[in-house]
Amino acid sequence: MNDRIARIAAPLAVGVLFLIGWETLVRLERLPPYVLPGPLLVAETLWRDGPSLLGSLLVTLRITLAALAAAILVGGALAILFAQSRLLEISLFPYAVILQVTPIVAIAPLIIIWLRDQVFLSLLVCAWIVAFFPIVANTTLGLNSADRNLVDLFRLYGASRWQTLRHLRLPSALPYFLAGVRISGGLALIGAVVAEFVAGTGGADTGLASRILEAGYRLQMARLFAALLLLAATGIAIFAALSFIARLLIGHWHESALPREE
Amino acid sequence: MSEGPIVALERVGKRFSTGVEALAGIDLAVAPGSFLSLLGPSGCGKSTLLRIIAGLAPPSAGSVRYGESGLARHLGFVFQEPTLMPWASVWENVYLPLRLAGERRERVAPRIAETLAALGLAGFERAYPRQLSGGMRMRVSIARALVTEPRLLLLDEPFAALDEFTRFRLNEDLLRLWQRHHWTVVFVTHSIFESVFLSSRIVVLTPRPGRILADLPVELPYPRDGALRTTPAYVEQCRRLSALLSEAMA
Ligand SMILES: Nc1ncnc2c1ncn2[C@@H]1O[C@H](COP(=O)(O)OP(=O)(O)OP(=O)(O)O)[C@@H](O)[C@H]1O
Ligand SMILES: [Mg+2]
Repeated sequence: MNDRIARIAAPLAVGVLFLIGWETLVRLERLPPYVLPGPLLVAETLWRDGPSLLGSLLVTLRITLAALAAAILVGGALAILFAQSRLLEISLFPYAVILQVTPIVAIAPLIIIWLRDQVFLSLLVCAWIVAFFPIVANTTLGLNSADRNLVDLFRLYGASRWQTLRHLRLPSALPYFLAGVRISGGLALIGAVVAEFVAGTGGADTGLASRILEAGYRLQMARLFAALLLLAATGIAIFAALSFIARLLIGHWHESALPREE
Repeated sequence: MSEGPIVALERVGKRFSTGVEALAGIDLAVAPGSFLSLLGPSGCGKSTLLRIIAGLAPPSAGSVRYGESGLARHLGFVFQEPTLMPWASVWENVYLPLRLAGERRERVAPRIAETLAALGLAGFERAYPRQLSGGMRMRVSIARALVTEPRLLLLDEPFAALDEFTRFRLNEDLLRLWQRHHWTVVFVTHSIFESVFLSSRIVVLTPRPGRILADLPVELPYPRDGALRTTPAYVEQCRRLSALLSEAMA
């Protein structure tokens, strides 16, 4: 119980202290808002511009969630494919790595040009490229990490390939997969924002990244901070939601999700 | 029942790709209905031998013959670790072999209930492995092996990780079940006491590469129970076996 209070109170105290320090600094040094706005001004801006920023956030969020869904589908499917054939895995895996290590800012312009008429799709593809790798890598690892003796047991009982996948490999891979999804959730958001940055401002429904760029150009730092705050909150919310789902799915058996009961 | 062995190994040897020679020249015929213990020092190839008997690994020399056709479909295997699926309840774990054989839940539910009850697991159907003690997990593992009513049951040091109390209890339970059903058992163990208590025959292996050092009948009548452990005849058998072992290993 004490531990739980500390778990919330301690970071909260650090946050409050930080904000007080920040506000004090801004006031003592008389920093102009276009250099560093104080937290009170940011809060006020957030309150005032909230509704309009929220609309932009929704645009970014749609791309993020679509990219995450695509990453889960394609990443999961690829991993299952890899688990079926070692040859397939060693032939394709390096390309997944190449996609992963190539900076998205370098390929985003290409994708945006190739898919010029479909803004949503081009942003989605960029965010997907950033997000899909942890799911492929983790799930592949998980599918190959089934208990050796259980694999033998399935063989002893004459299990088919499909039965082994369905009843052994997939459940063994689930915790790995979920850990991958949790990482990918954050990456999808980052990917969506970076893609929007590259795509630039303009267009009818612009995402949060464009609003950040715009605010930067106009030296509206308070609004920029407010947008950043929203973005961070969204990232945390996505992470929390995915953690919650993971707990629901494997909480009853997996070590990572077990409450420690003494 | 046929008079021939249920499984016969002829000049079986095993050399791994690493160059390790685990087994050499094993001739072994297992009589139907017998309880055979494989006794030997760590690393002498007992697990390897059991896996070869189960068909999970091919021998690199010699042959394995089953005395009954279709025996491969009627094997039970219990590993040193409980080897349960942590995501599945006790019931689901025991149902696994039947599910893989295409049996429907409703049809086999009575059989599963009976097996669980025989192993003292009634009431734990919905528990997950992590909620059980080590001994109970092992019981689940044994229940899973028994639920298919195997004709040949292979156990690889199933009780090695358990404390003495639990081990004694499980020994007695296993003995009771075997005396009732008379499947054929091949039982790997480190323990002289355990092997004498349970088996009708003990095969002792040498250090690596494992060869058959001794092949002894246990001259203690069945049915046996826990009281056997305090009889002079039992103590005498254990004493003779351990004398033979220390002589051989010297
Ligand atoms: N897959 C494998 N590849 C290479 N060597 C192996 C393999 N499995 C077992 N061995 C080797 O074969 C020898 C016999 O191993 P095995 O597991 O059969 O011994 P064991 O008698 O069961 O020992 P323990 O009582 O400790 O379980 C060991 O030296 C081991 O290192
Ligand atoms: Mg072993």
